Amino acid sequence: MSTEIREKGAWPASEQQPLAVEMREITKTWPGVVADDRVHFDVRKGEIHALIGENGAGKSTLMNILYGLLHADSGTISINGQPAQIRGPRDAIALGIGMVHQHFMLIPVLTVGENIVLGREPVTNGDFYDRSGASQRIHDISSRYGLSIDPNTRTGDLPVGLQQRVEILKVLYRGADILILDEPTGVLTPQETQDLFVVLRELVKQGKTIIFISHKLREVLEISDRVTVLRRGKVIGTVPTKETSEEQLARMMVGRDVLLRVDKQPAKPGQVALRVEHLNVKNERDLPAVRDLSLELRSGEILGIAGVEGNGQSELVEALAGTRPVASGHIWVGDKEITNSGARKTRKAGMGHIPEDRRGTGLVLNYSIADNMIFGRQRDTAFSWRGFVLLLSSIFSWAKRLIAQYDVRTPSAETPARALSGGNQQKVIVARELGSQPRVLLASQPTRGVDIGAIEFIHRQLVAQRDTGAAILLVSAELEEIRSLSDRIAVLYEGQIVSMESPEVSEERLGLLMTGGGTRTAQG
Amino acid sequence: MTTPATSQRRPQAPIAPEIPERIQRVGKALVAPLASVLFAFAVGAIIILFSGGNPIEAYQGLFCGGLGVFCTGDTYGSVAAPYRISETLVFTTPLILTGFSVAIAFRAGLFNIGGEGQLIMGAISSAVVGIHFATWPGWLLLPATLLAGILGGAVWGGIVGVLKAYTGAHEVVTTIMLNYVAIFFLQYLVTGGPLQLPGQTQVSPPIGVGANLPKLFPQAAQVFGLPGSVYRVHTGIFIALICAGIFYFLLMRTTLGYEIRAVGQSQRAARYAGVSAQRTIVKTMLIAGAFAGLAGAIQTTGIYHNLPIGYQNDTTGFDAIGVALLGQNSAIGVILSAILFAALHVGSSVMQSNAGVPASLVAMLQGLILFSIAANFLRSMKLRLPALRQAPVGTAPLPPGVAAIETEMDSSAELDTDVKA
Repeated sequence: MSTEIREKGAWPASEQQPLAVEMREITKTWPGVVADDRVHFDVRKGEIHALIGENGAGKSTLMNILYGLLHADSGTISINGQPAQIRGPRDAIALGIGMVHQHFMLIPVLTVGENIVLGREPVTNGDFYDRSGASQRIHDISSRYGLSIDPNTRTGDLPVGLQQRVEILKVLYRGADILILDEPTGVLTPQETQDLFVVLRELVKQGKTIIFISHKLREVLEISDRVTVLRRGKVIGTVPTKETSEEQLARMMVGRDVLLRVDKQPAKPGQVALRVEHLNVKNERDLPAVRDLSLELRSGEILGIAGVEGNGQSELVEALAGTRPVASGHIWVGDKEITNSGARKTRKAGMGHIPEDRRGTGLVLNYSIADNMIFGRQRDTAFSWRGFVLLLSSIFSWAKRLIAQYDVRTPSAETPARALSGGNQQKVIVARELGSQPRVLLASQPTRGVDIGAIEFIHRQLVAQRDTGAAILLVSAELEEIRSLSDRIAVLYEGQIVSMESPEVSEERLGLLMTGGGTRTAQG
Repeated sequence: MTTPATSQRRPQAPIAPEIPERIQRVGKALVAPLASVLFAFAVGAIIILFSGGNPIEAYQGLFCGGLGVFCTGDTYGSVAAPYRISETLVFTTPLILTGFSVAIAFRAGLFNIGGEGQLIMGAISSAVVGIHFATWPGWLLLPATLLAGILGGAVWGGIVGVLKAYTGAHEVVTTIMLNYVAIFFLQYLVTGGPLQLPGQTQVSPPIGVGANLPKLFPQAAQVFGLPGSVYRVHTGIFIALICAGIFYFLLMRTTLGYEIRAVGQSQRAARYAGVSAQRTIVKTMLIAGAFAGLAGAIQTTGIYHNLPIGYQNDTTGFDAIGVALLGQNSAIGVILSAILFAALHVGSSVMQSNAGVPASLVAMLQGLILFSIAANFLRSMKLRLPALRQAPVGTAPLPPGVAAIETEMDSSAELDTDVKA
């Protein structure tokens, strides 16, 4: 692992620093589950403290308790050495605690400034909104912490990274000294993540304390001073970042050794399984998203598509899957042309598709797992009599087989998909799409928002599928995932493949290509 | 299969060992409707008290009048229970069918306010056939009449579906407008229009005798101490129950129903699965209209035997919205809540005459039931009462490495609304 542990010392969080947050013996139970079990959690003033754990480990519950959204069954909290009673977010804010949620809570039609001051608007003469006063105060805060932003922009027009900046400014505006960031990098591009880290370091330099919830180990190693690992509601340990490694953290999170590298043999490419010629696809706003793109994908290989989000990946995959119209060009699966033939025929031709949006597209959350396991193939004769009447017993035996084979943890096949964790929901989709052994598999963000154990599992399944002759097109925002799984990497920039690379390509070169850096100059 | 992954698969963790999951789910589904009915009755009781009435007597009247139960004491001893039940069933029948009309549309994510218009078009179409082919033998005329009603309703619903699917016109607006079109069309037909019975006002000629749905009781004999002819209940109730089976089968056991439910949840997901949302919406509205149209045909053939102008005061298609909501859009639920609504309706007159509480209390109770369902009190109460919060499935001890639960996410999502403090 080429993880470089960042130099400490630049922003010391010495052992002598007083504690900003002291949570003692925090226990929180839901009926039948202990979310947090006598958790001790200390954060020193001026440190970046990462809180990691798999989904359901109790991280968010713990932080919601700290922010007053939930109440612990037992345990005590001290803030800056003073015992604190946090009955609600109001108390937490008064104590200088601020929380930036994973899903932004901004009103898109308001300006940046209006969003920041919302609820605490400065006023003149009683009840009039003091626009210039607000701008002034926002300007003060943003220049102090190096968070430059135009307060008069409409929030909805901003890219995700800047929207997050607005969230951080909102919290700072309310006077927070202790910032809780809940999975802040989940929605960011690599560049935006780096920008965020610069901001976080600046905040710490100014004396702020940061709690960083994540399950991306590399980021944790890069940004934090100490790491606390939770597993199934218990603290497994708190370690200084410089004394730990990705492998150790993964083991602490999962409770066993985790293979972070994907173990795979060299690909044995066979015949061309997917052929795309001069493909043009438009996006929602009718602008060209994929431009004159051609590619060939052979059975038994994984082609990774690297690119900054919004460079046509989604449109490309949707066009290939038959859920988005092709403006011009041709797509073949094997010898069969499937251009614009719709999702059903495309799937019939042997195309599997793991969509990027799991909950909104790939699953019907109210359906049982069994129903979800045939989603897209409900009219196949295997599952319905002449395409009309569902054959429940075949559906159930199919679902049960896939549940066992793909290790979906569920009480039964009748459980609604909604009740599963993100990782298990994704396993349902993976099982369904791989279970029918497609000739070509489109895997779009196959491990997004999935915990580390499930990531390992899904990666193994993709490689296994490749080894049995499937052609896999992998789209992912995680460069590491692209590099470790792919046999070839295509770099997509503004809807075109600008370069084909081998998986050994350096991250720097990929980054340069992804951002439009010249293919010619980069070599030198 | 070539991707074995189950070598170290651990045994399934049992959930809440004493209660099977399926029963838990049924129980959970019953909580909200029952609570909202109880809520409505509780608030209703307070209002009766404040207006000087006796809630116990009033509710006794309601249940005795509607369901023929608790008919004891001086006040209610004389109420003829079988007759009351017969009346309740008369009202239940169209409520079940229009309830399915609204429910199937709900399942596809459509709000069908047009049950009434579809019912009226079904009544008109069936009356037209019943009158025009009055000489046909019953075995031919009755099915033809019912079929005409189904088609009339389906067309009326289908228009809404086509508009929604291909122009995006909102179904709430189009269904309400089509309700007006239907009711004024009926008024025109029977007041000076082609269907008016000559020499009579505001009523059509009778349909052929062969088109009459058989009554449940012999008309000439004494039944439960009353002449059989007072019992209006007819075999239409069986048609409604058969339709419950069709509704369930269609929705849960056919690919069409599967796709309707998918479209209702997410059109993006539907597109992913190769389902055309547009065609599914049209089909759904055709079926919804057909159910309501059949309700109209059954009113024609079972109750009125002609086309009366009285439909302008009919509220069945609107009550059906409540029936579907309270019944959670399920076959059994719709039947049960249709019975409840019908019993309230029928019982109100007894309550009014014997307990002196105005019959309009029933409209208020119906409103309160819907209000509490719509307001989702239970959900908001869960936030205050953690004990009520259901643990998600699969919460028993799980092997390491299992991300089993969304407790965290769900709870924070629910609570997020409070954040803007």
